[in-house]
Amino acid sequence: MSNAAVTISGMNKYYGSFHALKNINLTVQKGERIVICGPSGSGKSTLIRCINKLEEHQQGSINVLGTELDDNVGNIDQIRREVGMVFQHFNLFPHLTVLENCTLSPMLARKMPQDEAENMAMTYLERVRIPEQAEKFPGELSGGQQQRVAIARALCMKPEVLLFDEPTSALDPEMISEVLEVMVSLAKDGMTMLCVTHEMGFARQVADRVIFMDQGEIVEQAAPEEFFGAPKNERTQNFLNQILSH
Amino acid sequence: MTALLQSRKFRNTALQAGYLGFFLFLLIAAIVIGKHNLESQGITMGFAFLERATGFDVGFSLIEFGPYDTFGKMIVVGLLNTMFLGILGIALANIIGLIIALFRISNNGILNAIGTLYIETFRNIPLILQAFFWYAVLTHLPHPKQAVNILDSIYFSARGLYFPGLNVTGGAASLFFLALAIGLIIMIWFSIARRFNKIPKTTKSRIRMSIFGIAFLIGCIALVIGRIPETPLVSVPVLKGFNIREGIRISPELGALGIAMGIYGGAFLAEIMRAGFLSVGKGQVEAARSLGLSPWYVFSRVHLPLAFRAVLPTLINQYVWLFKATTLGIVVGFTDFFMVISVSINQAGQTLELIGILMLGFLVMNNTISFVLNRVNKAIALKGTQLRT
Ligand SMILES: Nc1ncnc2c1ncn2[C@@H]1O[C@H](COP(=O)(O)OP(=O)(O)O)[C@@H](O)[C@H]1O
Ligand SMILES: [Mg+2]
Repeated sequence: MSNAAVTISGMNKYYGSFHALKNINLTVQKGERIVICGPSGSGKSTLIRCINKLEEHQQGSINVLGTELDDNVGNIDQIRREVGMVFQHFNLFPHLTVLENCTLSPMLARKMPQDEAENMAMTYLERVRIPEQAEKFPGELSGGQQQRVAIARALCMKPEVLLFDEPTSALDPEMISEVLEVMVSLAKDGMTMLCVTHEMGFARQVADRVIFMDQGEIVEQAAPEEFFGAPKNERTQNFLNQILSH
Repeated sequence: MTALLQSRKFRNTALQAGYLGFFLFLLIAAIVIGKHNLESQGITMGFAFLERATGFDVGFSLIEFGPYDTFGKMIVVGLLNTMFLGILGIALANIIGLIIALFRISNNGILNAIGTLYIETFRNIPLILQAFFWYAVLTHLPHPKQAVNILDSIYFSARGLYFPGLNVTGGAASLFFLALAIGLIIMIWFSIARRFNKIPKTTKSRIRMSIFGIAFLIGCIALVIGRIPETPLVSVPVLKGFNIREGIRISPELGALGIAMGIYGGAFLAEIMRAGFLSVGKGQVEAARSLGLSPWYVFSRVHLPLAFRAVLPTLINQYVWLFKATTLGIVVGFTDFFMVISVSINQAGQTLELIGILMLGFLVMNNTISFVLNRVNKAIALKGTQLRT
């Protein structure tokens, strides 16, 4: 058993005739923290959505935790249970309370008894520091609180890997830090993470590797000091100049 | 005083009271004048005829009814039949509507085409024609002697569909279903009313089961009391001579109307449900999938409940509309509420009183439907502000 959490090799993804991801090769070790950045439309979301098969790739292979992502339906549900995802717009279930949002999948997909699931959910809600909101509905919470619930919901499945797709970009500035704090503490606990984000402070603080994507390709990847200190590719330099200048 | 007159709440209340008073005045005036005019023509108003025997039988009844029974009882028979047909038709329409809606939103081209074809066909043929059509089909099934028969216990024939049932009176059977329906309503109310939110889930499901158990028990007691003496418990239809005896019979009239309402209503409900499914944010469905929920759980726990909430007000509208379609019973001779009123007008006169009963009956039934469902709608409405993704 290797130590790789995610292995992507020679992967190509098309939307119809549009070539969205071009020859992607990427290996993520267990416990590794990856930050993915790049201009809008460069394929960042598509890449991480391929990892839990919310999008399908056409060529190459994706191996997650030793399981090959193919057409086997049983595989897909099993992998999704081990790979949590946090979305830009939170995507909580508005008809369920915060607690029910967290216990739904453990009870249905993992057949966990209700009291056990609720106890676990409360632990994770404490972890993201909103246990007092457990009985409220998502629509009654602020954006930052909703995103923390979304993280707790993902954690309740005890995933091996967590995917984040711009988790703070829909938030008001004063709420960004409360979500980033939670993400930093997860990183410190050794969670394997792939984060699409433009929070460069976060990348500097926790990332083992920063990946820059443009036009469906991985243009450059390096440790944060190197990535920010001495970017090799011109496109990376331009991008960094743009987002760090304001 | 001026402060009171300025208050929006007071103004609204005063305005409402004013309207109500005005309409009550009009209504009473109309009744008094109408009565005076009729009396001057020698016609007496009143409801005494309800106590008179009808002198004839009805085609289909859920409770015992014979020529010696009164007009009042016949109207009850009609009411029960209308409710029975309404529930049957709406239930069928819901099942068909859901299936066709799922066909329409599926990624499968053939299912899409079937769904579209279904809707464009059945939505565009008037309901009355469809009722005639199904009546013609059902009455052209083979005669009882050649009835299509499944396992010697279910018979399709021109005289109706026969299947095994219990040897109980129709009243007891209606009571049984009434008990179940009330139990179900209490169960739903208990599940969704916010005042019971604090009860832990396991206790809640235990209480739900008990409510159902009690309702079932009460229903069974009704069945035991209503048992027809000196008959076997289960009554299985058998061919005797030229006809099929025993068992439970669904008459071609009831069958035709139920099918027509289900098929026609289903076409409309399917379009509403489809809109509901499409209105659910893609993000919620993706989130459910990303949690490793199976397709069935994604559908039943996230997609369906959100779609249902989005379109419940529109559905209520359609249910009320479909319920009124039961009045078509008269075109194929089904003894519904409308038909017993028409017959009574012919036989007993008293047109105004009978029309009054008819309108009041439909007002009460349809308002009950919308009242209950509006409460459900309120109870399950999404809380807080919603971000659509
Ligand atoms: N469902 C889709 N159908 C067609 N094109 C898509 C779809 N999703 C994304 N794309 C295209 O793929 C490219 C990459 O998109 P995305 O992965 O969302 O970029 P990013 O997250 O980096 O902004 C964009 O050009 C986008 O227009
Ligand atoms: Mg994106």
